[in-house]
Amino acid sequence: MSDTINAEELTDAGREALQRLILSLADSKRLMGIRYSDWVLGSPSIETGVATSSMTQDEWGHARLLYAMLKHLNIDPVPVEHDRSAEAYANLSVLDEPFDDWAALVAAMVIVDGALSAALREFSAGTFEPARLRVPKMLAEEKFHVSLGVAWYRRLAAASDEAQSLLRAATDRQLPATLAWLGADDAASRELVELGVMPPGATLTTAFKDSVRDILADGGVDVDADFDGAMPSSDWDSARGRASGQPDADSVDRARGSKNRALLVE
Amino acid sequence: MIEITYDVFARKNRGDQLSHIGYVDALDDETAKVHAWTTYSEENWFEMCVVQRSRIIPVNRDDGPFARAQGGAA
Repeated sequence: MSDTINAEELTDAGREALQRLILSLADSKRLMGIRYSDWVLGSPSIETGVATSSMTQDEWGHARLLYAMLKHLNIDPVPVEHDRSAEAYANLSVLDEPFDDWAALVAAMVIVDGALSAALREFSAGTFEPARLRVPKMLAEEKFHVSLGVAWYRRLAAASDEAQSLLRAATDRQLPATLAWLGADDAASRELVELGVMPPGATLTTAFKDSVRDILADGGVDVDADFDGAMPSSDWDSARGRASGQPDADSVDRARGSKNRALLVE
Repeated sequence: MIEITYDVFARKNRGDQLSHIGYVDALDDETAKVHAWTTYSEENWFEMCVVQRSRIIPVNRDDGPFARAQGGAA
């Protein structure tokens, strides 16, 4: 097999699998940015709010770079970014709704953002050259997200009963769905493995678990335990590579930039 | 919530003087690095570092912010 794949020569199945992967990562990044932005003015300190603002910018920058990779599949990224309906979004299902409390955002920093980085790390080591070129800078920026997430996760895990309870509830909600997303072993996932673009889901899951095992243990969570819902189930949407459902309407408006575009002067 | 004050130092270019550019409050050293980098992002810094204010030893004054962090005169 060649060191890199030629996107022009992909089969229909290979092309659709790669498109699904790019959209899944890009949409998740965009929604993750929105979830960070929700807390710019509600974080526990001004400095933390500034950090979430910066992380918002990072995620949106990463999303933009990922959407641009669709050009290699002869897909115009502009309508993909701005015109799709909610049911077309391929983001990780955990990001469909806003987080109710700070503990849930902290859990998402560790679990969801961590899973996205685990997937991107493998993507950058695969045979799709644009990922090799563009993803390493994203991963460098993500180091700050990890630092903030780990510090806050540990702080909340050692804080009041209420904080611990909220953190545990958020972890229990987010972890199984995230593991199911990473560990997907459907036809498209296997196609990507065949092309050398991504490793098998089990490899991804193992890498992710290794990266969060210690920190989640501080919150009393054994990442190696069996979780209900940690495997893709009957509601798995293979076209989008995610569980059924869709982001809320407000988030999709923000992701699409609908209000901004209404102000554009043609 | 108990936070620690860190002072932030940076230089724009290699060879520039390291300058005090501000401070941040943070949970620990790692979050201090994040807060400093994201708060003082107006420049493309060549180098930035943080130090716990309480670790700074005042030399000639006992009435400045660094002296207060050491438990000196207010």
